[in-house]
Amino acid sequence: MHRIFYIVQKEFRQIRRTKAYFGLIFVAPFVMLLVMGSAITTEVKHVPVVVLDRDHSPKSREIVNACAASSSFSFLGMVDSQAAAKELLDDGKVKLVIDVPAHFARDVATGAAPSVQVLVDGVDGNSAGVGLGYVTAMLAQVQARWAAERPSRMPAGPAQISVVPRMWYNPNLESKLNFVPGLIGVLLVMMTTFLTAVNIVREKEVGTLEQLMVTPLASLELMIGKIIPFAILGFAQLTMSVIAAGVVFGIWMKGGLLTFYAMAAVFALSTLGLGIFVSTLARTQQQAMFIAWFIMIFALLLSGFFVPIENMPPFIQYITYVNPLRYFITVLREIYVKGTEFRFMWREALAMGAIGVAAIVSASVRFQKRVK
Amino acid sequence: MKRTFASIFRKEMIHIFRDVQSLFMVLTMPILMLLLYGYAITLDMKGIDIAIIDQSHSPESRSLVEHISSTDFFRITARDVPVDSVSRLFNSRTVRCVLVIPQDYARELVAAPGPQVQLLVDASDPNAANFINNYVGRVISEENVRLSGHSPVLFNVSPRIFYNPDMRSADFFVPGLIGLILILISSLLTSIAIVREKETGTMEQLLVSPIKPLQLILGKVLPYTMLGFIDGVLILVVGSLWFNVPITGSLVLVLTMMLIYVVTGISLGILVSTLAKNQAIAMLAAVMLTILPTVMMSGFIFPIASMPKALQYVAAIVPATYFMEIIRGIVLKGNTLANLYQPAGILLAMDVLLIVLATRLFRVRLE
Repeated sequence: MHRIFYIVQKEFRQIRRTKAYFGLIFVAPFVMLLVMGSAITTEVKHVPVVVLDRDHSPKSREIVNACAASSSFSFLGMVDSQAAAKELLDDGKVKLVIDVPAHFARDVATGAAPSVQVLVDGVDGNSAGVGLGYVTAMLAQVQARWAAERPSRMPAGPAQISVVPRMWYNPNLESKLNFVPGLIGVLLVMMTTFLTAVNIVREKEVGTLEQLMVTPLASLELMIGKIIPFAILGFAQLTMSVIAAGVVFGIWMKGGLLTFYAMAAVFALSTLGLGIFVSTLARTQQQAMFIAWFIMIFALLLSGFFVPIENMPPFIQYITYVNPLRYFITVLREIYVKGTEFRFMWREALAMGAIGVAAIVSASVRFQKRVK
Repeated sequence: MKRTFASIFRKEMIHIFRDVQSLFMVLTMPILMLLLYGYAITLDMKGIDIAIIDQSHSPESRSLVEHISSTDFFRITARDVPVDSVSRLFNSRTVRCVLVIPQDYARELVAAPGPQVQLLVDASDPNAANFINNYVGRVISEENVRLSGHSPVLFNVSPRIFYNPDMRSADFFVPGLIGLILILISSLLTSIAIVREKETGTMEQLLVSPIKPLQLILGKVLPYTMLGFIDGVLILVVGSLWFNVPITGSLVLVLTMMLIYVVTGISLGILVSTLAKNQAIAMLAAVMLTILPTVMMSGFIFPIASMPKALQYVAAIVPATYFMEIIRGIVLKGNTLANLYQPAGILLAMDVLLIVLATRLFRVRLE
């Protein structure tokens, strides 16, 4: 048992000598959260838009004004023809064009229900859809106002069902509240998986791993001795990430701190196991980083971090079941945004635990084989 | 002159082909990423779990419920649960949203203004919440049209979607992925290849040989340029054959622009190699300086216009920002040089600047 302690002690000596670790633990969470937390957004804002007004009536001007006043758009002025509008779309200068037809005001007054055409740059399907939603909502508002102003000699419209949406947990639909907790998990993976893998492979490259193996140290002891320091580093960084999220974005967790750390510990089993596993695959540090990076991108894309898992086709959804990050991202969001208690998340804990144990066991089997 | 260059080139090719593992990764990674982005990142939602609390229990409310259950957007997983259990439903993630139809629904339908239905959404995923809200809004307005027998609107909104009419994510990601992979391969592999020679000490041996530094660099980076280029073409081919992404613009223009952009990546790689002492640092620096900004800030996934102002300035100095605009313009919009002279000009200017900088710094290192 005390042999493990020596390994841990040795690792910490090396860690203390490497200044980069301090940067990784204390600075990286702040910088990464600040940059990535601000850059990663599914919110669509400041959509560049121009209006083509062929009617030149008070009614059409009202639409122009509504457009200019809306904070969702960045209103770039008027165009004279659809050809000019198309050119702006081609050049990528605008993403939306609102085309108000001639005789618009007259047709509205007579009840001919004219069509306002919206030209959309569909290249980025998501942004296009959201931008179109903004236009529709804005025009619906204009329309509702006009309907209310309608002279009373016209019959009152029939009853209309209206929807009152209530957004729970994130009333302003802020993207940050969604991504920042997820980023904390991503940083934890980087710290534990990358550093464990690279650390072991470096000893392999330098040749000191062989020296360790001829000592009375069992390979399992060696592995545990390697895991403990990086688990501790990972948790130190995790704590810094929590503080950074609070200080930089004002996002603090709503749920229990104990649940948070317990869940993180279960999750760390799989990331540390993965780190060891990668170290047995790679011969050089370069390869280790390449493999780790590769796995990380896959885990990230298939975790529901960027895109809800429900959106994915079924066969990809099945793959996500073996991705521990999927569960951890869910847990993080639940704890951070909703303050969910553990009794609602035992399934996630169980899944992460099972994957974690499998990862550690298979990694140690491979590790032992390599040693012999 | 030609022979020395050719021999460096050949030597580098031998290095590449000897490391089959890495070569395999370099060639398969783009395809895997393409499949992943093409399939995993689709933004049309389906099968959203919804709970319906129908307090009206009338034929009218049942018709609304039927309307909702007939779409494949929603999957009704709970009915008529008590209202105060909603937070438990959200916490256990049984449903993402709850629709509450009030008791007086049928009675209020008789006259204006009409009933209000309540939509409670678990907005912990704001993007999904937005989709749900829009979708319910659409169902309700369809229901309104059905009830009143005619369209109650003063005017209609008719969208016309250009360039990517079905708003498919594959169309968006295939050209973008070319931008990502090209810079990944060209900057990362170049810097590592140069730094490796430095680390093992063979760089000095090469330098005392009659090879000129420029020949040396060119001979070293050209094989990786070709690799990157092959990857780019591979993505283009798989994208158009497998995902049916149309290539509307000129293929020659696409390839020319790819070439300009690969030069950017390579100059960045050479720059990184002058800064880094060992491969691990080169790798980290290449990731930090080229790959992360390309993924996060070039508009590859996240629209630049939505970022805070400070990050928009950062995006303006990331070469990929311009390349994304160019390649999406050509591939999806059928842009010609007339549309793209601005981003293309900026990219060229960046090339010149980076090449000057790289050769300068590299000279300094040699002395």
